[in-house]
Amino acid sequence: MNSRKKVATIILNRNLPNETNKLCEHIIKYDGHLSDVFVVEAGSDKDKLSKYATWHADWVDAVQNGLRYSRGMNFGLSNLFNENKFYNYEAFFLITNDTKLENKNSIEPMLKIFESFPKLAILSPCSSKWGEKNLLLKETIKCFWYIHNNAFLIKQEFIDKVCSKKRPDHNTFLFDGENFRGYHAESELLAKAYANDWCAGITSDVWAEEDESYLLKKYDLIKTEPQDQNLKLYVEEGLEWMKKKYGFTSRWQMQQYVKFFYDNFFEMHPEYKRLKI
Amino acid sequence: MNEANLKQFVNKKKCTLLGVGPMSLNCVDAAIELSNDNNVPIMLIASRRQIDSKEFGGGYVNNWNTYDFANYVKSRDTKNNIILARDHGGPWQNTVEVTNKLDAKKAMESAMRSLKQDIDAGFGMLHLDPSIDIHENLLPQNAISRLFELYEFCSDYAKSKNIELIFEVGTEEQNGSTNTPEQLEDTLQRIKEFCERNKFTMPSFVVIQSGTKVMEMRNIGSFESPLRVEGEIAVEIQVPKMIEICNKYSIFMKAHNADYLSDESLSWHPKLGIHSINVAPEFGVVETKKLFNMLSEFGFKDVLEDIMKISYNSRKWEKWMLPESNASDMEKATISGHYIFSNNEYIDKINFVKKEFFKKNINLNECLKLEVKKSIFRYIKNLGMVH
Repeated sequence: MNSRKKVATIILNRNLPNETNKLCEHIIKYDGHLSDVFVVEAGSDKDKLSKYATWHADWVDAVQNGLRYSRGMNFGLSNLFNENKFYNYEAFFLITNDTKLENKNSIEPMLKIFESFPKLAILSPCSSKWGEKNLLLKETIKCFWYIHNNAFLIKQEFIDKVCSKKRPDHNTFLFDGENFRGYHAESELLAKAYANDWCAGITSDVWAEEDESYLLKKYDLIKTEPQDQNLKLYVEEGLEWMKKKYGFTSRWQMQQYVKFFYDNFFEMHPEYKRLKI
Repeated sequence: MNEANLKQFVNKKKCTLLGVGPMSLNCVDAAIELSNDNNVPIMLIASRRQIDSKEFGGGYVNNWNTYDFANYVKSRDTKNNIILARDHGGPWQNTVEVTNKLDAKKAMESAMRSLKQDIDAGFGMLHLDPSIDIHENLLPQNAISRLFELYEFCSDYAKSKNIELIFEVGTEEQNGSTNTPEQLEDTLQRIKEFCERNKFTMPSFVVIQSGTKVMEMRNIGSFESPLRVEGEIAVEIQVPKMIEICNKYSIFMKAHNADYLSDESLSWHPKLGIHSINVAPEFGVVETKKLFNMLSEFGFKDVLEDIMKISYNSRKWEKWMLPESNASDMEKATISGHYIFSNNEYIDKINFVKKEFFKKNINLNECLKLEVKKSIFRYIKNLGMVH
């Protein structure tokens, strides 16, 4: 591993070693000059680990239920922190093993955008399935108050500001692990960014797709619930978390919460107005 | 009820306005009674397929033509709270213009004749929607020039009659000109310039896609769903952004196809600043369901079967079906029920059962109307029009 690389890519895997290996090799091939690759094994079976596996969450709960995005990324980031590698990187590319990237460099264009906009802390590639792509025709980067994705490049400086250094573990480091399935976990992250004078955007310079067939066809291998059951729990548990933590009873309250900080950010930073949708 | 009164009502109550599709005689009566009893404005939004001028053979609702319908409503709307509104007025928006495959010029002329009758009959609100062209894929610049043509025609005609009109523009369809924030801003800017140039009043409403879509007997749009819909801007982004643009142009945002939304979703409409919604097929379905239930409950099984057969065979349910639908024949008959309320065969059957119910001291129409009233009231309440 070359610690002088600017980015640490963290890939979340659960029992799909071939798919994960392929994604690792894709990153190494197209972005290896800029990024180290780390793989979080979210309770994978011992015989289903990626050959690039870095850390294995092998405690009972992780083996039974997995980690999902929030706990999985917390686990990877907190391990880097605990291993004193966190500050070696300028940014972290957090993706799941079902992420499909284009056959070209993905990280470099995003780093360039970070350089152009120092206040940008979170950047998501666009997806061909999102209507948001129509908002990214003239300008290829725009800031949003809502980004629903499992692929983010996040600045280290921002994470350093908002992370829990007292408890650097899979439950608390960046995301709230209590929100297990992660419904509106991105909204909470965006609120943290805008509330702390940072912003979050989507770029059409880089495209990433989620291969939904993994969840649809390989849910038994991943040891998760079938897609429809998973979605039901995702929403039910997420709303319960939202209510407990914020007293919000609807996703629209979360949306208004994030947008409040979004609007404030652009009041305070008129120089970023061209990024406002 | 003019534009100023409507806007005053919304601003004072901090509510969302309701447009009700006149799906049937009972539905129209229900809307008028609720509007007058609660002293709230309701827009009765008639599509050209539902009610059109005599020239086009009226429509499928109660065998009314534009005049009959307007006169009926005006005679009962004692507090003048109902706004007679044309929904999707424009070329090829009725069956005759499509069946006769009218060319663009003739379809536009035909649409203008229909709109003229609307104004003459006392419609106070016109939704101008030239988004359909049965001959070609309509380019945005052609759609907007057709809109201006209709707008100019209606404005000039209303002015000549000293009538104040409320205009609604835009469409929820994908080929519309108000789908993305950029399109909306561009369209509203062009409309503003057009109105200023011609000294016309600006439209009061613009139709925005806000994540509502009706299929079968539910709303499958993203407003009700916690997940994003492929190809659409996430509703969490779309709705606040579009409202922001509408507010900039002092125009009310109108969401079509808001049927079957939950109480929770409806209650968010005023809080999000959505100014107005349209609901139509749900009220027809509510009435049909109640009718089927009563026929079944009181032992009119043969009549029920006959009516269901007429309804099913009308095949009016087809356009509402999801691609891989597993709806039963009964559900299909329920979806298309209100389309056959003016069918002679249906009328014969229903007149027979009405008499039978009467013998049991039951007024069938009153029961059906009450059911529709309950359904409309759910909207009025959750939209904050009454507290």
